[in-house]
Order: sequence, then structure tokens, then C-alpha cells
Amino acid sequence: MLTILGGLLALAILAGFVGALSGLGGGVFIVPGLVILAHVPMQVAVGASLISVVATSAGASVAFVRDGWTNLRVAIILECATVTGALTGAYLAGVISQPVLEMLFALMMLQSAYYSITKHGDELLSQSDPLCERLRLGGEVPGDDGRMTPYGVRNLPGGAALMVIAGVMSGLLGIGSGALKVAAMDHLMKLPLKVSSATSNFMIGVTAGAGALVFLSRGDVAAAVAAPVAIGVTGGALLGSRILPHANVGYLRKLFATILVLIAVEMGWRALSGI
Amino acid sequence: MNQPERYSPSPSDAEEDRILRTWTPLMLRTVLIVSTIVLIVGIAATVLHSPGFYIDRFHALQRGQMHATEQFSMIIRQAAAGDPHAIMTIGLYVLTLVPLVRVAFTFVLFLKDRDYIYVAATAYVLSGLILGMALGRIG
Repeated sequence: MLTILGGLLALAILAGFVGALSGLGGGVFIVPGLVILAHVPMQVAVGASLISVVATSAGASVAFVRDGWTNLRVAIILECATVTGALTGAYLAGVISQPVLEMLFALMMLQSAYYSITKHGDELLSQSDPLCERLRLGGEVPGDDGRMTPYGVRNLPGGAALMVIAGVMSGLLGIGSGALKVAAMDHLMKLPLKVSSATSNFMIGVTAGAGALVFLSRGDVAAAVAAPVAIGVTGGALLGSRILPHANVGYLRKLFATILVLIAVEMGWRALSGI
Repeated sequence: MNQPERYSPSPSDAEEDRILRTWTPLMLRTVLIVSTIVLIVGIAATVLHSPGFYIDRFHALQRGQMHATEQFSMIIRQAAAGDPHAIMTIGLYVLTLVPLVRVAFTFVLFLKDRDYIYVAATAYVLSGLILGMALGRIG
């Protein structure tokens, strides 16, 4: 028993650690880890991953919210879109076959690998567009000189549309879809990059929570797997976030993007042989 | 030339932000600590009292055999009786309640401040989370 439990814990700690270092979250690594190495069905892996994503999001959000990096109003408005997507995705996960899920997961990993190596712009928008102004979505961030600099927000409908897709992927595949959320806020809505990351991380809790509740009440969360995975991923993520400030982020991102592509190929191959 | 209108929070917005930034991390941390303790107790109890059950359960999962949906009241009763598997399940439920508690808190805060756009948004998210549980039972 200790071999199984120890193996699951080690896998989860590694996934949480790599997820925090790469900025992609533990879900992208724990799901294929459980399917390929622990030989559990995709549904069990997705259910366990969703719960661990809720835990890591909550853990990382504590400091981001307290220090003012999370834009709480943007998060609340966009959560309407991600929750809608997450419920749809979690419901579909119960009816879509295992090979199709594995193939979708492989495609999502390739997309995450692409986002993790593309460059992000960080020019602050001086004024919000009328809709965002009406919703008071703008905020302030510390500038280079330490003084608070205001920023505006734009294109809420575009951002919300991408958030629905991020939600569907999260509920379907058991991931936080942080890469897509950050892209929506950073590229489309022009939020500062660090605010986008902090807000995405905060929202991930609700997106994954909505999916996890569907899985839990459907009886698709196996406590024997999900409990050690939740503890391990959270511990690993905590360790990763401690090391992150001292790490060479650019090099790490390229390394993890390569790993993601390799795992995507393995998952894709499994899916094709299962059809 | 007029300066473009810049972001400046109104006093009520600033107060809302202050309350959210103080209470949200506190709630997140508390629920996280409680659920982690329950999960660790559940795992420790499994190791000490029912390792055989755990191994059987894990191999059954690998063969794709899930447990039937259990009634929440039954899980509570079993956990109270010291059943390790039920204790782990309770820990997972508590963990999943993190976002629910957080959204419920913001809903009450915005309602108190009569900030109706955000009352509607949080009510939508909250009902989505509750629907999640119902969907699982229906689906």
C-alpha cells in the first residue's frame, strides 16, 4: 500500500513543483502522469486533478489578493463566463469516450506549450473602454518608480468569449487553463501581465471548483487517488513557488514547453491506438 | 486639452476592495488548512487501519470500476464512525467548498453595498456552482 500511496504522492509533488515553476499549473502534468504512469482511467485523473487545482489556486491566491495584484472585479465578471464553460465541460466529460478525451488533452498541451514560449507585451492602457469603465474594472499597479500607476481595461466581450472556452477545457480535461486565461486578459483585455497572472490564478479556483463539484456529486472523484494527489500537488506547488524567484524563467519555459510537446505526442499516440 | 479621465476608486469602492483584500486571503487560508488536516487524518487512518481496502480500491479504479454515488449524509455518518475513506472524501468536499465560500462572501458584501451589477454577477457564479452539484446528481 505504501508503494502505491508513496508513488502517487511523489508524482503529485513533482507535478505541482513543475506546474508552479512553468506557470502552467499542476493539472497539465498530473493528468498525463496519472494516466500514463499510474494507469488510472482519464475520468479518475481529471476528477483528482480538478480538486488539486482548487487547492493550488487557493494557496497561491492568498498573497496575490493581499498584495493587491488580483483584479477582483475583473475576476468576478469573467467568472460568469468560465463557470458556464466549466459546467458544460464537466458534463461532457461524463459522456465523451476516453480516446477522444486523451486526444483533446494532447491538443491542449500543444497549445499550452505554444503560449508558454510566446512573448507577452506589457504596455499599460491609460483608459478603459466605455463598458469596462461602467463596470469600474480599471485598477492600479506599482510602477517602476514604486508609485501606483492606474491602468484601464478593454474588450470585455472578447475576453469573456475566450473564458467560456477556457472553462470548457477546464471541466473537460481537469486543468486550470491558466495559459488561455492569461492570454485572454493580457492580449485581448490589455491588463498588465502580473495582474493577468494573479487574476487568472484566482479565477481558476472557481472554474475548477465548478467542475470538481460536478465530478464529486457524480461519484467520479476517487478519494483513494484524489486525496494524496491534492496534498502532493499543493506541497509541490508551494515548493516550486519558493524556488521560482531564483530560477531562470526563460530557460525553464523552453524546457517545460519541450516536455509538454513530448507528453502531448505520447497522449495523442495512446488516443489513436485506443480508437 | 483635457486630460483623459483616469481610474480613481470612489470611497465605497475603496472600502469594498479593502474588505475583500482583508477577508478573502483569510477565508482561503482557513478552508485550505482545515481540508489539508482532514485529508492527512484520512490518509493516516487508511495507512493504519485499512491498507487492504485501499489497495483493492486502487486496483478496482485501474480496472475502471468507480464507486456508486454516495449520499452526503451517509459519508458524514461513516466519517463520524472513523471510516478512513469517508474522512478523505469529507476533506475533498471541504476543499471544493473554498470557491463556494469565497463567492458567497462577495455576494453578501455587494448586496450590503447595493452594488447590483456585481450582486447579479456573483449570484450567477454562485448558482452555477450549486448547479454543478445538481448536474452531477442528474447526469
